[in-house]
Amino acid sequence: MIEFGHFSLCLAWILALVGCVYGAFLGCRAGSSSQVEFTRRATVATSVALAMSLVGLGYGFVTNDYTVQYVWQYSNRDMPWIYKITAIWGGMDGSMLLWCFFVAMYCALVARSSVSYPRPLRPWLYCFLNSSTLFFTTITLYLTNPFRYVKSFVGSDGRGLNPLLQNEYMAIHPPTLYLGFTGLAIPYAFCMAALASGHMSNDWIRLTRRWTLVAWTFLTAGIVLGGHWAYLELGWGGFWAWDPVENASFLPWLTATAFLHSVMVQERKGMLKIWNIFLVALTYSLTVFGTFLTRSGIVQSVHAFASTDIGWVFLSYLAAIAVVTVGLVVFRFSDLKPARAIESLLSREAVFLLNNLVLLSICFAVLWGVMFPVFSEAFTGQKQTVGIPFFNRVNIPLFLALIFLMGVGPSIAWRRSSPRQLARSFALPFVGAFLVATALVWAGITEFYPVLSYAICFFVLMTILSELQRGLRAQSGITDASEWSPSNIMSLARRHRIKYGAHIIHFGVLIMTVAITASMAHKIEREFTLAPGEKFVVGRFALELSEFHEEEKANYSAIQAHVVVRSLKDNSILQVLVPELRFYPRNKETTTEVALRMGQREDLYLILAGVDESGAKASMKVFVNPLQVWLWYGAIIMILGGVVVAVPVARVTTARRVELGGVSQSI
Amino acid sequence: MGRVFISLVVFFIVVGAVLVFQATRGTSSLVLMPSELIARAHASDLPRIRVGGRVVDPIQYQTEPVFLLSFSVRDPKGGDAVVPVEYRGLRPDMFQVGRDVLIDGDFVGGVIKAAKLQTQCPSKYEPAVPGATSAAEGS
Repeated sequence: MIEFGHFSLCLAWILALVGCVYGAFLGCRAGSSSQVEFTRRATVATSVALAMSLVGLGYGFVTNDYTVQYVWQYSNRDMPWIYKITAIWGGMDGSMLLWCFFVAMYCALVARSSVSYPRPLRPWLYCFLNSSTLFFTTITLYLTNPFRYVKSFVGSDGRGLNPLLQNEYMAIHPPTLYLGFTGLAIPYAFCMAALASGHMSNDWIRLTRRWTLVAWTFLTAGIVLGGHWAYLELGWGGFWAWDPVENASFLPWLTATAFLHSVMVQERKGMLKIWNIFLVALTYSLTVFGTFLTRSGIVQSVHAFASTDIGWVFLSYLAAIAVVTVGLVVFRFSDLKPARAIESLLSREAVFLLNNLVLLSICFAVLWGVMFPVFSEAFTGQKQTVGIPFFNRVNIPLFLALIFLMGVGPSIAWRRSSPRQLARSFALPFVGAFLVATALVWAGITEFYPVLSYAICFFVLMTILSELQRGLRAQSGITDASEWSPSNIMSLARRHRIKYGAHIIHFGVLIMTVAITASMAHKIEREFTLAPGEKFVVGRFALELSEFHEEEKANYSAIQAHVVVRSLKDNSILQVLVPELRFYPRNKETTTEVALRMGQREDLYLILAGVDESGAKASMKVFVNPLQVWLWYGAIIMILGGVVVAVPVARVTTARRVELGGVSQSI
Repeated sequence: MGRVFISLVVFFIVVGAVLVFQATRGTSSLVLMPSELIARAHASDLPRIRVGGRVVDPIQYQTEPVFLLSFSVRDPKGGDAVVPVEYRGLRPDMFQVGRDVLIDGDFVGGVIKAAKLQTQCPSKYEPAVPGATSAAEGS
């Protein structure tokens, strides 16, 4: 079966090569329909071959085939079967194979729906789709092949997956994140195919937006799942540490978000054409850069990176992307002139451009922070680094500016707004925000950024609500229903799904912003030691240690502290928390298991730090994280909004396909 | 298009550069290996540091009256240079002898006073163990 997996990988590489080269050939010389169809089928077949390759590797894990080096390194007989499956992407080699499969799967989905796309676009589209698959398959096959056998006998059992990765989030977080990353290859392929073929109408940009939305939604979900996993598992009470691994996923998210806004300006007004190409290429480049960052070892991280010599391959590919993009833009420059100019700073297109610039500023700052050790060593000979304080200091004001623009953008007119229109739209939200800020200061919250953050969030909430009310008023004129009746709201949402889907996303962002502000500004953190029967008071809770308990599991032993959480108000028992200390004898690792009381007002986050030698006292650390749960609620709302926006676009695109088919006939 | 677009871009480049420059100047740390730290131990202007090292024996961990973790680190690639570390805080997960750690703090009286201690945790980006042959080449 391992040979089968390896053979399938080789087959996928050949198919991707054929699809890429033959696609370019047909793009240059008008080939027959059957030749184009052959390229399309090669694109679909690549994904099938990679799926078989993945199955081959998975079979090695499930059957404990420790003659395979990768299986031996990341699995053992004691591991539950679910972790044997997740171990497929537990190391660099397998994660690259999964990456290849997802890229190829996206390419196959595009290829399946591409039959009615304009004829000149198709060969180039297959060429660029397959070029992504080809690049990653080449790396997997030649540099990080997971189908290698161990050279000498290593024993009848494997080393096992690291305990921190033996977690249910391992099953969902990496695949979701990869679905986000790899999906961003599709907009790049559409963009380059449009430039190469000269089919420069807005069709490609509509198709691109749909795929960007899908990838963006997965990437958002992946990033949030990673944060949630870190929060539950790592025991430091936080969810985001500006680590290079986190930043690697955040960078393309920022540029993809910028593109999703600026693409509307191109669709509506025919502006920002080169800017959008730049954003699409930058987004794809940043996904490749992220892969390079986590697999080259050029920067230090709390995550163990491979210090491999494959960095030059990624850098070469990045250089190729830059050359191809710039070359094609220069080649088609005359077709990329904007239809009109931005007439006023007080217009929606100007606000969207501002939004893009803020997002790119954040992107630049994060990139600078990640690469600062490399830059400082190159220019001064002395390696320096920056940490969380740098990222917070730069990004907090930029993020608040972004949130503010989120309120302004959807409520300002296209082309030009008069001061009177602005006053009508924003006077009430401004007054509301000012009152909120005043009330907070009066209540004792005097730090600048938290007050500003809450006030801006309230401002944006009011703009969203007033926008909704305007829409409902107009809708009730059509349907004769009362403004805020469920039927009126539903019919409005159905008529303007994309617009209100975007508002749902913005609402989710607002909730997340409030939660992040609260958990950063008002967090309580305490360390204490208790004997059974003793109490410790934190926030509005009293923590009482009741007993210790020892447990033996298949692959670890644990000591548990049973801690009764009481309300300070009435001494009632709210919950019994059971933080654990685990010891994994096979890996000789000790880990802590956080006990969490999630609440709407705050999370109570308890860690068992140690038990003294006599076994009579437990040392613990506790965090009280205000409004933490709202961060996850906000993320869920954001993702739902992404789905709402993506679904109607998909339907419209289906309709467009017929239209495009007609266009292609005329071409 | 030109004037508004270029004005906005220039404005953001200037604001971004100022923000990044100021934050970098105010928050950066020198990255050193334990051996490099010892070599510079007598420098009077040693700023805030980040040291990447491998934990060596012995580890002492007290939980009363405060959490205090005392240990030493050496260069991950080996060598004799060993620097003691004191960290006032919770022992991180996976922390043990032989594990690579990142320490942020100050070097005071020959000891790193750590403000932050992170154990390098495993990731899906870890390299493979060397010494294997591909399936195509046979076992």
